[in-house]
This record gives sequence, structure tokens and C-alpha cells, in this order.
Amino acid sequence: MSDHVDGPRSIGEPAADVTDLFAFTSPADPTRTVLAMCVFPSAGESAAFSNVIDYSIAVRRVSVAGLGEAARFQPAAEEAARLTFRFNVLERDASGRVIQRGVCRFADGRETPLTVNDEKGASTPEGDLRVFAGLRSDPFYLAWLAGDLSKVPNLLQHDNVLSMVAEFDTERMLGASQGSLFGAIAETVPAREGEGRVTHPVARVDWVGRPEQTNVRLNNPGLGRATDLRDLWNQQKPFEISADLQPLFLQRLKDSLLDWDLRDGEADWSPAALAANANIFLDDFLLFDVSKPITDDSHLEIEKSTLAGRPYQTGGGRTIDANVIDILFTWLVNRDRQFLQGGATGATKPGMTTFPYLAAPNTELQTVAETVELAAPPDAVWDVIGRFNIDWHPLIAGVRLVGEGPGQLRRIRTRDSAEIVERLESVEHAKRRYRYALVSGLPAAHYTGMIEARPNGGGCIAEWRVDYLADDQPDIAVKTRVSALLRTGLAYLNSRFGASR
Amino acid sequence: MSASLRVRDPSPRATDGEIAAINLQSARRRAWTRFAQNPCAPGVAEAILENERLAVEFLGDYQALDRLAVVASQLSCQEASSRAALIEAEVAAVAHRFNSALAHLERAALLQAPMEDIARHRLTIDQACGRHLDAVLAARRRLAASGRLDDLAPLGAVLADLGRIDEADATYRRALREYDGLSPFPLAWVCFQLGVLWGELAPEPNADRAADWFGRAIDYLPAYVKARVHLAEILAGHGQTRNAERLLRPALASGDPEVRWRLAEVLNAQGRFDEAKRELSAARALFEELLRKHQLAFADHAAEFFSGNGGDHALALEFARANLANRPTRRAFELVHAIAQAGRCGAETPA
Repeated sequence: MSDHVDGPRSIGEPAADVTDLFAFTSPADPTRTVLAMCVFPSAGESAAFSNVIDYSIAVRRVSVAGLGEAARFQPAAEEAARLTFRFNVLERDASGRVIQRGVCRFADGRETPLTVNDEKGASTPEGDLRVFAGLRSDPFYLAWLAGDLSKVPNLLQHDNVLSMVAEFDTERMLGASQGSLFGAIAETVPAREGEGRVTHPVARVDWVGRPEQTNVRLNNPGLGRATDLRDLWNQQKPFEISADLQPLFLQRLKDSLLDWDLRDGEADWSPAALAANANIFLDDFLLFDVSKPITDDSHLEIEKSTLAGRPYQTGGGRTIDANVIDILFTWLVNRDRQFLQGGATGATKPGMTTFPYLAAPNTELQTVAETVELAAPPDAVWDVIGRFNIDWHPLIAGVRLVGEGPGQLRRIRTRDSAEIVERLESVEHAKRRYRYALVSGLPAAHYTGMIEARPNGGGCIAEWRVDYLADDQPDIAVKTRVSALLRTGLAYLNSRFGASR
Repeated sequence: MSASLRVRDPSPRATDGEIAAINLQSARRRAWTRFAQNPCAPGVAEAILENERLAVEFLGDYQALDRLAVVASQLSCQEASSRAALIEAEVAAVAHRFNSALAHLERAALLQAPMEDIARHRLTIDQACGRHLDAVLAARRRLAASGRLDDLAPLGAVLADLGRIDEADATYRRALREYDGLSPFPLAWVCFQLGVLWGELAPEPNADRAADWFGRAIDYLPAYVKARVHLAEILAGHGQTRNAERLLRPALASGDPEVRWRLAEVLNAQGRFDEAKRELSAARALFEELLRKHQLAFADHAAEFFSGNGGDHALALEFARANLANRPTRRAFELVHAIAQAGRCGAETPA
């Protein structure tokens, strides 16, 4: 999944795990470019940056050094720009709230202090550069199981990441008049200095150019138990992959791209074109051209056009909302013959058109779960709780059902005269379980419930679980109400069937 | 001694321990939310297992054992896979239910779990139980050829179990030198093991040396409950009861009964007998609750507690024997022997 969870060091220190890199023209000001990187897959609400890592985005000018099957992009020897974020240990403000401060350093020696999670970000006095760091909704989405390319819902739904965003004056920072095509990478590097500490033995923990270099192209699950090269790749110096190891990586890319091409049973890539494509991916940096439009659909267009032997038309890059995984799979599997749409059409939240562009973090889904061990066989308990009309529940005054099967609605009138409407999502009689979702009646969003009876020795365990986000009311208010509903229901079952010994 | 040791063993740099602990809790809670949405989602149960294991080991959060039991039972209800069996095996092993863990491994093998995964789990269980130690040592040496801390630290542990103290010391220190990650958890763990090695396992314990390593473990991870408890014991033994108290108080919230037990000892030494009595009573209640649910996980600590301030020799011997039956290690045997000896001495002491 993009660059999430792709090596032992980054798994051991999730705050060093680079998940994604973005490069696009500011929707708010076309004279400015935005570079953003994300780290820490599935970060919780309190996640913090490591204080011993330099989080950097480096940019080099790139030239097109070959077309067609000789397609190649040559990066310049020198960096055009480098932005490095570094963070402090945690502090507490006057109210005891934990805060983290940091600084963003630029290649020209200037630096801007910042406070993590301050949405306004921080700017240089000249105003040519504005930066942000903090928790945001994960903009990446993946709705495929890569092993067999089956569609699933977004595997990163509701996930957050720690992100760093830099928006800058394109001409002033990149000198675009000297050439408008650039390659960018994001990396996490152990910070150099330290009092009484040894120099860290690895040069970098993780880096990313284009999405999915490690988890899809180098570590293709279709290649079976092939040696995992991801950590070796992550140790490489961006823009300067070891000459000794290039043949190894190139061969893996060729093997992998061939496997992807044949996933639909059709060979859309000639051996020469496939080799040329592997060569392009070996030079792993995110290409973007600041003189051309960068849109949600332009990701990889520079590479594709160059491989086709024609001038590219867009700025390539990667916007926040770009559907990069489906763009990539379509390119690899059928060479754009037919768009492969996964099981989701967007991330949990779309990006924003204003700074800091990445959407606000998702609130953690809350869970209320109750179980009771009953001295009755699961089928007997399922005969009762499996009735979607929930007429067995002591707090329910009346229920009206509308429709049948999945999609069926139940209009519940509670004993305190509230009305709750819920929709049946699925029933699995073999597992004695059904799932439902709230339509209205409780101050909650993304409210889903599950009730089941499962075997437990000679008796059974009845479990009732609800996941939700509080909406317009404090979480505790919703939780209290939901807990009362569940506990009262299970207490009734306990009295009816008896507790197991 | 501390200063010279620090010069010889410069500490690898790692993420600040407070950040790491907060990020652990953050990732742990998020993994649970994802598990609630889809218990079978790839990697989620494994993430919970890893995070909860760290919470037990470092934060003294023993409720994690209850939470892990939920993961195992929910996952096994959802799917009869080798993956679920391996997770059940690991959950059982974390709670020291080693026979149960081995049974789950056998089931995992029948369900075609990768042989290397099963072998890795068996090796860990054999080592924890002190079984086939020559074979365990040979296997650990082979794995340690990787030069990675993750492989060197278990080799250090088996060498320590075999009483090869200098070799264990060298191996642990090499593990620290070779560490190429940024998480403080593995570093703190190795420092703690070095503290135990020199404070408890060496034939001639060196309290200063042990205290230095426990101190380093706490430097890496201030929330490391066991390191605080062990360092507090050493400080209290040197009469530094105020410093010991300062170490223990922040760890009270963890719920680890050993914190309250050691605090009771420290308060007793300060002549604060009423407070000590309250802490001892709280320790006893916490032990009893944990033993009710996870007896094998706490049998050795409970034996020590009840043979000392817990004041119930028969119960102590019962727990020590249960521990020995579960994991017949040298330390388990020595614990039974010591408690039995103390009982005989006590019985022979004239009233």
C-alpha cells in the first residue's frame, strides 16, 4: 500500500515510515507549488514526530534523456531544493496540554519554527514559503487485495497520518526558468548530531519517490516467496541507486512488471516496452513539471508519454486526490486499455483547496462492545437475537419493519419515546450474526452494529458491538446511551437463558 | 563506575521515550479500532499483538493480557486459518500458557502455516521453558549471525539462562552496538536484561553495574515499569529510599502490583508504616486479581511476593511449584528451592 509499512526499521519506528509524497500546483495560487510528505501509517490521535529524524523532501532538476524504448529521465547532480523538518521532544503548555514544536530548514540556510498541528502553519518573513506539520486524514486509498486483484473497500478508511506540507513561490524556490521538469523524493534520515551518542549505522530509514515502488513493484505478492528487497531498496541513496545493485533491482522490476501485465490473462506489454518501463521505474522520483497543469489525472503522464515517444502534455506530479493506485494498476496490467477501478473512489476525506490541503484528521471510531456467556446452545439464542425486529429487548416499546432482507429498515420506538431507524446490512445465519447501520435517531455518524451468538463449550457467547463517531454531542453522552442499550439487552438474555458456569 | 561504563558503551540514539510511549498507545488504540471494523483485515491482529505485547513488557499494562485474549477468540471465531492459530499461540505464550501455545502451533502446522514461523515460535517457547537449551543455543547462534539486535538479544538471554555471564554480557552489548533502528524499545529491553544479568544472575552480583544499566533503560524509556522497580530495589538496598520512592510513584498508575509491593517496602524502611500497609494491601489485591485470570503469567512474581511481605508461605510454595511445572527453568527451580528452604528454616526457628 503506497509506501506504508515497507521495512523492518520503519515498522519498528512508525514515525519514520514514509507513506506518501505529493507534488502539485497550489489550487489557491498557481504561482506556488506544494510538496507534502506523510509518515506513520494508521497514526492515532496523539501521534507525535520522532525527535531524532530529519524528515526531508529533496528536489532535483530533471531532463528527458531518451524517448520511446530508450526513455530515460536524467536528474541533475545537484539538488534544486531541500526542505528538512526536525522536531523536538514533547513540551507541556500552561494547561498541561502536550505540544510538539519543530523547525523547517531550507537549503539556503533559512529556517522557520513551527508548532505541530497548528493549521495556519508558519511562514518565512518574506512570505515565499509556508509550512505545516501535523496529523491529517490519510489521503491515500487502496481498495484492492494485491494478491488476486480483488476489489475491497478502502483498506485505509478512517486512517490518519502525520504529514508535513510546504507551499512555496515556484520561481523563487526552484528557478523554474532554467527548466521546469523536476524529480522529488521524501526521506527519513537519522539526525546527525547527538550528545554522547554514536553515529547511527544506517544512512536513512525510508524514502519514497513514486507511490508503490516497494510494496507493489519490488515486493509483488504475485512473485511468491521471492526475496524481499524493500529494506535493501530503502537503504539506497535517492537519485543515486548503487551501480552494483541496479541489475538486481532492474531484474526484479522486470519480473514484477511481467507478472502485473499477465494478471488479466493478456499480455499488453512487449518485452522491449516492459524493459523500458522497468528502466523508468528504477529511477524512482516523483516527476512534476511546474510549467504544465498538474491535475488529479496527470499522475504518471510524463512517464507514459515519454515511453510512447511523444512530448508530455501535463505536469504529472501527484495531487492529494489523485487515484494513484488505480492509475498505476491500469498502466501495469493493461497499459491503459481499460481503467481498473478498485473498490473505492476516494480516500476517507478529499483534499482541501486551501492550505494545508490535506484534510483534517479523522476522529477515532468509538466502540462499545458487550458480551455475555449463556447456558444455552447458540442456535437457541440465535432464534431470539437473530430477529431483526428486536422485539425481545426490554427497552424497546415497539418496532415497525419496512422491506425484507438486507436493506430492510426497523423503526424502533424506545420506552423513553425516542425513534431510532436502523438498516439491516447483512445476515449470516451460519455464523448466527447480523450487521446493521444507523439511519437516524442517535447523535452519531458511521454508526454500525453487529450482534452474534457463537459456541462456547456447551453454551454460547452472545456479543453485541457498536462502532460510531459522536456527532454534535460529547462522546460520553452517546457512549452512555449505547452502553445502556447493549447492557440491558444482554442482561435480559442472561435472565432468559441463564449464565454459563 | 557508571561514568566509565558510559564512555565504553556509548548509547545508540533513539526516539525520545515519551514520544515512543505515546506513539505506542496511539498505534495500539488505532489498531483496535481497525480490528473492530474488520477483525480479519490483513495485518491488524498482528499489529495489536505487537503493540499489546509492548504494553505488557514495558508499560506494565497487564490488562493487555485480557485484551489479547479477546483478539485471539474473536479472530478464531471469524476464521479457521493458520494465521488465527499462530496468533492464538502467541497470545498464549505472552500469558505464559506454554502448553496451550504448543497446541495452537500444532494446529497451525496442520493448517499449513509456514514452517519457519512455527519453528520460530517453538524456539521462543523452548527458551522460555528452559527446554532443549543446547539446541536452543545452537539455533540462537545461527540466527545471531545476522548481527541484528533482534537476533542477538535472545542469544544473550539464553546464554544468561545457562549461566555464561560474560558471554551474555558481550552479546547484549554487541546487540546495542549493532542496533540500526530508531525505536527505544529494543534498546531499553537490552539495557534492562544487562541490569538483571549483573544484578541477579551473576554469581557475584554487582549492584552498581546493574543500577547503571537499569538507569539507561529508564533513560531510553521513562515509562519502563520493570526497570523502575528493579532500580528502586537497588537504591532502597543502599538506603536511598527517597530516590527509590521517586522512581516508583510515577509507575503506580500502571497497575503492576510489584510497584506497590516495592513501594510498601520503601515506606516501611522510612517508618511510614500506615502508608506501607495500604500499599501492601493494594499489592495483594492486584496480585490476587491478576492470578485469578492469568495465574501462569504471574506465578513466579506471586511466589516471591507471598514468600516475603505477602506473608503466606504455603501459597508462595504453591505458586512457585506451578511456575516450575509450567516452565522448568533453572530460575524456577531455584525459586522453589529457596521458598522450601525458607519454610524449613521458619519451621525450625523456635517461637
